[in-house]
Amino acid sequence: MGKTVSGPEGALTLLEAATVNVKAGETVAITGPSGSGKSTLLGLLAGLDVPSSGEILLQGSAFSALDEDQRAARRGALCGFVFQSFHLVQDLTALENVMLPLELQGQRNAEPAAREWLGKVGLGARLGHFPGQLSGGEQQRVALARAFVVQPKLLFADEPTGSLDHANGEHIADLLFDMNRATGTALVLVTHDPALAARCDRQLRLEAGRLHD
Amino acid sequence: MTELSRLMLRPWRDSAFRILALALLVASLALTSVVLLRAELDARFNARGAEMLGGHLVLDSSRAPEPAQREIFSNLAHSELIKFQSVVVHNEQVLLVSVKAVDQHWPLLGEVLLSDQRFGGTQSSVQHGPEAGEVWVADQLLDRIGLQVGDALPLGQSSLRISAMLVREPDQGGGFYSMNPRVLMNRSDLDRTGILAPGSRYGYDVAMLTENPEAISEQLTPTLRPDQEIENVDDTLNRSMGPLKQLTLWVSLGVMLITVLCGAAIYLTTGLRVARRATMAALLRTFGASRQTIIRRLLGHELLAVLPVVLIGIGCGGLIAVSAGNALGWEGALAAGASEWLLVLLGPLTLFAAFALPRMSALAAVPALQVLNRQDHQSLRRSGIELAAALIGPMAIAAILTGSIQDLLLVLLLLASLGVLLPALIWPLLLALDKRSQRWSVASRIAVRRLSRRRTTTLPLMAALTLAMAILALAGQSGTGLLSEWQRKLPANAPNHFILNLFAEDQQVLEQWQQQHGAIANPLYPIVRGRLTLINDIPVREAVTKENDRADRALNRDLALTEEGRLPESNLVRDGQWHGKRRGEVSVEAELADSLGLKAGDHLTFVTSRGELQATVTSIREVDWESFAPNFYFMFSPGAFVEQDATWLTSFWLPEGDGRRVAELMSALPHITLLDVNAILERAQGVVTQASQATAVLAGLLVSAALLVLVAALLATADQRRADQSLLRALGARQALLRKVNWLEFVALGLGAAVGATLIVLAAMAPLGILLFKGQLLWSWWQCLPLLTGAGVALLGGLMGRRVAAGYRPAM
Repeated sequence: MGKTVSGPEGALTLLEAATVNVKAGETVAITGPSGSGKSTLLGLLAGLDVPSSGEILLQGSAFSALDEDQRAARRGALCGFVFQSFHLVQDLTALENVMLPLELQGQRNAEPAAREWLGKVGLGARLGHFPGQLSGGEQQRVALARAFVVQPKLLFADEPTGSLDHANGEHIADLLFDMNRATGTALVLVTHDPALAARCDRQLRLEAGRLHD
Repeated sequence: MTELSRLMLRPWRDSAFRILALALLVASLALTSVVLLRAELDARFNARGAEMLGGHLVLDSSRAPEPAQREIFSNLAHSELIKFQSVVVHNEQVLLVSVKAVDQHWPLLGEVLLSDQRFGGTQSSVQHGPEAGEVWVADQLLDRIGLQVGDALPLGQSSLRISAMLVREPDQGGGFYSMNPRVLMNRSDLDRTGILAPGSRYGYDVAMLTENPEAISEQLTPTLRPDQEIENVDDTLNRSMGPLKQLTLWVSLGVMLITVLCGAAIYLTTGLRVARRATMAALLRTFGASRQTIIRRLLGHELLAVLPVVLIGIGCGGLIAVSAGNALGWEGALAAGASEWLLVLLGPLTLFAAFALPRMSALAAVPALQVLNRQDHQSLRRSGIELAAALIGPMAIAAILTGSIQDLLLVLLLLASLGVLLPALIWPLLLALDKRSQRWSVASRIAVRRLSRRRTTTLPLMAALTLAMAILALAGQSGTGLLSEWQRKLPANAPNHFILNLFAEDQQVLEQWQQQHGAIANPLYPIVRGRLTLINDIPVREAVTKENDRADRALNRDLALTEEGRLPESNLVRDGQWHGKRRGEVSVEAELADSLGLKAGDHLTFVTSRGELQATVTSIREVDWESFAPNFYFMFSPGAFVEQDATWLTSFWLPEGDGRRVAELMSALPHITLLDVNAILERAQGVVTQASQATAVLAGLLVSAALLVLVAALLATADQRRADQSLLRALGARQALLRKVNWLEFVALGLGAAVGATLIVLAAMAPLGILLFKGQLLWSWWQCLPLLTGAGVALLGGLMGRRVAAGYRPAM
């Protein structure tokens, strides 16, 4: 797949002829300097954006060729997300945040699953707290619960420890890999942190839009 | 690029600042144009009022002023007039005339309109009175005693040449001519006529021009004799130009409402701007900046950047005022003085400072870490204070701008209290909805939560939408109410001719003539001349203990009595019940009834040429004396005049055309009295037209300001909305769901605000009615406008949701 955008100084290639294959349960780290195209690649893989050339398949069927709504539906059912800046809904409690993706899939009784996953990340006592009342580490744990609650086949994590201190970052990384192993979810992780990348099965390095194994 | 221009341009990179700048631009534009237009209106109508009065101040006496008084006005341009009634006898015709003897300075203001013959002559305007030896007379005088321009008019012991027919005097006021035709003469001829002798009854007016009428009035007041009074322009305007008083109040109300709306827009957009500046404030705080430094830096730079916006707004507002003035046919320089320009400059800046300061200072007080964590830093208490400031602040400024807080206090308090109370009532409702929404669809749940969980966004938004909708409806309602009232009072075909002394047998001739010339006829009123002699069988002199001018005038002369079964449109029954077709009853005009102490149930006796006429008072009427319709002090029930000698009075509208048509009528019915009120009517219609146009301009500005608030409200929450949609999309939400959430949120917002606004509009009806419509409640379709606007907001939300959902890409 490739991604080109038009800018004020003509066409700009963000990603050039990249091929990525992620197997079930596999953990893949994407590393590279700032501006190398890591987030672009992750966005394309997650169906948040469409490639200018090439194609993306999810579980063997076309993904990038689907329209936006179809992609959203598949993403909701098969993928989970963890963001660097957590992206929790500030007006919802921790419990409601975790319930949200299930509700979006049309699940009527999302609460028991949400409670269970918050318990797994150690926040069973803070269900009614709003994100503003939680620390950064706690917010990221809610985000992890939200990502895993839909039992995704594939989890995308964009610098999941980037906003946290070392101890909290370690704790979140442990949780992420533990849950990944426990659920058999494949993980695509974008990170600057070599230690975090080293915990993955495979590392891909991006430089100036080109992907190197 | 200099450092200053860099500082001024930097904020423009932020879209929130651009929205804030737009709100300020409209605020300064609207305030400037309204303040300048109001100053223009004041100046124009004051000039008109002064013209009608004959000067800026008139000392009204029954004899010449005292030397001490002369000293006060001797340095001012002034004119001395003598007014009296006299009798003209010619060709065995006797006619009571109303004479005005003017000096060489008359008229101090305005022009005299003359014609060189009775019908179809050439008209000319002059700025002086008649020369010595000449008189100018009203058209009816020529008709009644068969004279023409150029003939000699016998007046007292002398004879004066009629050198022109008088069409209009500048200082004749807005009402009708006296029933007695006017004779205008030079004061130097007065002695020759020998009419006025010691003991004669006359009026002696001194009209003055002064920059400071209040000061002169204060100097004159201690010297006044019992027969003297001072009249000023305000008295004249209040008495004779009802639409102007209504217009002035409406403009004041408009300024206040525009200020409230612009304040709301600034408040909403400032919130967005402050949210975007949060990181900067936090950074400054971490670097050790004091609270003052943060405020100075954030607010100071902001002020610097908005200054050009305010100046551009003022420039555009000035252009609008000038263009509106040109469209209304006003020429010349802007009438606004230094105080108005100061208000124009300080108004928007004060609004900005009032709304930016509390929010920015709140931001500076928040610990850096809290801001960096992007937490909601505002407690509800602070939000409540800001909300109250948002509502009360602009009202206080508006009150200063309008200078008439007393008149507007009721509406002001109502808006302030409802604007604060309504969101407070709506909030618990939203919280209840939040609880109940657990069992609703995911779209409804998300929509309700967005509103119920963001009180610092929802409450001001709801208040602003409620106020904007209420003000749209109130502006539309009161504006169209004023226009239709003026139109009703003075329709395009208001009667421009009145006929008196018509006999029953003349009616057919008149009817034929009216049909022939396309005249629109009005009802005929039988007239019987009679004098009130007994009240409840007690002679009036004994019955009426407290005499006043009006009562005195009513008792000392024959009154024109009429009988009519239908209540005229310009009359309103204040007490009792209109008699309809019942016999032996009479309805009395309210002010006269008050001055004579009359009430329903009193028995009145009049003496007429055929004996006595008796009736019982069954209603007291308010009469609109400004209406161009015949009005009467006493209206009897039908059948009262069966045995009386009655003549008839009527009025009609005659389309424009040449004077020969009226000459024909006068020739067929030479004994009638025909009053041509075209000149007065034109002046009154001119006032109404200008007032109507000014109302429309102001209503346009109000609507723009209300729409600005709606747009600002939507834009202020756009960032948050975009982030919400983005996250939902990343988590797998379909477009249909995003649209539905957006739509439901706006339905709740729109409906909540619409219900609140409808309540405000209904509650404001009474104070508005008292302020503008003589206490009458004005029901109209405008009361439904908030609901329609609410539906519009919901629809807009739906469309916006469609656009946002379709155009939005989820981001990492």
